[in-house]
Amino acid sequence: MSGGFNEIHPEPTTFWSKYIISFDHKVIAKQFLWYGIFFLGLGGMMAILIRWTLAYPGSPFPILGHLFFPDSAGVVPPDTYAMLFTMHGTIMIFYAITPILIGAFGNFCIPLMIGARDMAFPMLNMLSFWFAFLSALVLLASLFLPLGAAAGGWTSYPTLSTTLGQPGMGQTLWSLAIFLFGVSSTMGAVNYVTTVITLRAPGMGYFDMPLTVWGLWLTAILNAIFVPVLGAGVILLMLDRVFGTTFFLAGASATSGNGDPVLFQHVFWIFGHPEVYILILPAWGIVSDLLSFFSRKPAFGAKATALAMTAVTILSTLVYGHHMFTTQMSPLLTQSFMTLTMTISIPSAIFFANWLGTIWKGSIRFDSPMLFSLGVVFVFGLGGLTGLHLGTVTTDLYLHDTYFVVGHFHYTMAASVLLGGYAGIYFWFPKMFGRMMHEGMAKIHFWGSMIGLNGIFFGMLMVGYGGMHRRIYNPFVYESLQRLIPINTFITLSAIVMGAFQIVFVVNFLYSLKKGPKAPQNPWEVGTLEWTIPSPPVHHNYDVIPVVKCGPHELGNPNLKTGRDFQYQTEELVQG
Amino acid sequence: MKRSHIQHGLGMTMVLISGTMLFATLLMGYAIYRTSATAWPPVGTGPISLGFPMLSTLTIILSSYFMRKVRTEFGDLKKAKMNLDTTLVLGFLFMGLQTLFWNELKTSGLLVSSGIFSSVLYGFTWIHAAHVVMGLLSLLWLRFILKAGTRNLDVKVLNVEKFWHFLGVIWVIMFLTLFVL
Repeated sequence: MSGGFNEIHPEPTTFWSKYIISFDHKVIAKQFLWYGIFFLGLGGMMAILIRWTLAYPGSPFPILGHLFFPDSAGVVPPDTYAMLFTMHGTIMIFYAITPILIGAFGNFCIPLMIGARDMAFPMLNMLSFWFAFLSALVLLASLFLPLGAAAGGWTSYPTLSTTLGQPGMGQTLWSLAIFLFGVSSTMGAVNYVTTVITLRAPGMGYFDMPLTVWGLWLTAILNAIFVPVLGAGVILLMLDRVFGTTFFLAGASATSGNGDPVLFQHVFWIFGHPEVYILILPAWGIVSDLLSFFSRKPAFGAKATALAMTAVTILSTLVYGHHMFTTQMSPLLTQSFMTLTMTISIPSAIFFANWLGTIWKGSIRFDSPMLFSLGVVFVFGLGGLTGLHLGTVTTDLYLHDTYFVVGHFHYTMAASVLLGGYAGIYFWFPKMFGRMMHEGMAKIHFWGSMIGLNGIFFGMLMVGYGGMHRRIYNPFVYESLQRLIPINTFITLSAIVMGAFQIVFVVNFLYSLKKGPKAPQNPWEVGTLEWTIPSPPVHHNYDVIPVVKCGPHELGNPNLKTGRDFQYQTEELVQG
Repeated sequence: MKRSHIQHGLGMTMVLISGTMLFATLLMGYAIYRTSATAWPPVGTGPISLGFPMLSTLTIILSSYFMRKVRTEFGDLKKAKMNLDTTLVLGFLFMGLQTLFWNELKTSGLLVSSGIFSSVLYGFTWIHAAHVVMGLLSLLWLRFILKAGTRNLDVKVLNVEKFWHFLGVIWVIMFLTLFVL
């Protein structure tokens, strides 16, 4: 499928059209990458401030504390603390992970991996980035308001997020920023779905697509369907805050008739549960591919992996109620949601077993993308298993809103996605920028991050199981929690270690961008389409649209006589 | 079918799915408010007059009819332009009628902040109106490029038409559920 509509666009000549309002998917991918890395740093620093407060409550934050909080002698004040965890969550989910995994890899990989010259709608793609940029400006502006930015948690439940809980403009700007970001995401999703369906190179069936593209495609479908649900929710929240409607007000705060605060939770999680799969699906796809590439073996059960990811995508739309077991939902509903949630384990176990099957007896190359992929297998396994405790009503009633939840979703959404994102960056950096990253620094970065994040998130699971609530400014005013101080200190130290090792990544990234050795066309020796063209690719990617003749994971075929242990997707499958 | 038709048709389908989800969420909220309320409209609030909403409904249905004619009588550009102009006029008339409706609500003492009943009336019609503004902008854009030699003009006409019908359908559903029911 393809051909006629896949025309060559003229190459832009001015700085403005080349780098700023570029229509080129590769440039937009890089814009999203920079955007995401910036916010990853910002969100990470907020995390350090949060952790400092929890480990050393009442003591001033070293060095920068007096600069940020002069009124409290360098100590993070309670209202700022609430703002910090709200903005940390918002920034990491919407402004760091989404731009890197979906914005950068989606834009970069989809057209290159399916043999297209650009996205289906290049202008929409450009608008998608600039809407995201506008959204970021609104969010950043809210940090400088006199009453501070939003502080009702990233979930922004009413009544915390109504004008009663948040008198300032912060929450209003938060809602506006999320709405704008939703518009951007939807634009991107429309583009990705259409591109995958209509612009695949001739000969490429759906199961000939790399699993990365599968992950990104499923993500885009979920985005297009469920981001508007959150959009509706935040519009109504804004109307409540600005025009005095009472959609989410009840009780004493609704002077003129009741709305329904719990309705926002429903709306939020109808979006929110698919959202966690929106974030993880690209990482699953990337890891499924990389495990095969670096084990020099075909992906075990690639078709089953793709179908299992599709099954998870469908099931993810039916389980949102497990976030709301404690909202006096009827037992019939909680048990239905519990059963559906548990059902997700089946497809998850299928592709997880396929990952293990892929590396089983492979001749594994421990290059940095592979290390990060193996890291994902480990942390996602842990994250998935802890999910069972939270999906079960009986245990969730005890664990709800404790640090166990924080540990669980960081293992799945933060650790897995972050490691998956790094795997992708190390893997596609040569194709993106035409230079290799420094392998030694990459390995140091991996081990530092891996040790750091397991220290953080496993510690969180432990303190959560011990009963520590997730949003208390100083949990140790409760005598029963004082015995958790040492573990909290350990978590904070792990966080500082992890933060420090991210500097290695930034140095490596910037250094390699300028001074890295020139990348060959195919440094990792894999056969997907993007490696059949020079690094970095020319403006229109493919001079001639390739014809696909075999799947993406044809490695280690014993019948190959070419001297390579892999074959390109453009080559006829070699048979014995 | 031409490849550009498939591609742009698919893109528009995705946009409409997104839009449908947005309004479906609103209507789900409405269903919950309505079923959990003790009385709807609340005690003390008389039934609102249906005059302007009824006229709005007729206007937007009529505008969809003319929008369809832009495509079916596409061969004659002059005729297409006339049909598009009629659609535009009716579209602006719809917005005017909505404004009159909001004014009427206001003068009858039902303000935005008068509780959940008026929240739904104002909030949902505002969100729909914001989409109608987008629709009007795309109609104006179409009016601007409606001339011989525009690339893929037929696809563009078709997509704007789909979006305009979508707004009409949403309005009719809102009219039936919010006002008539």
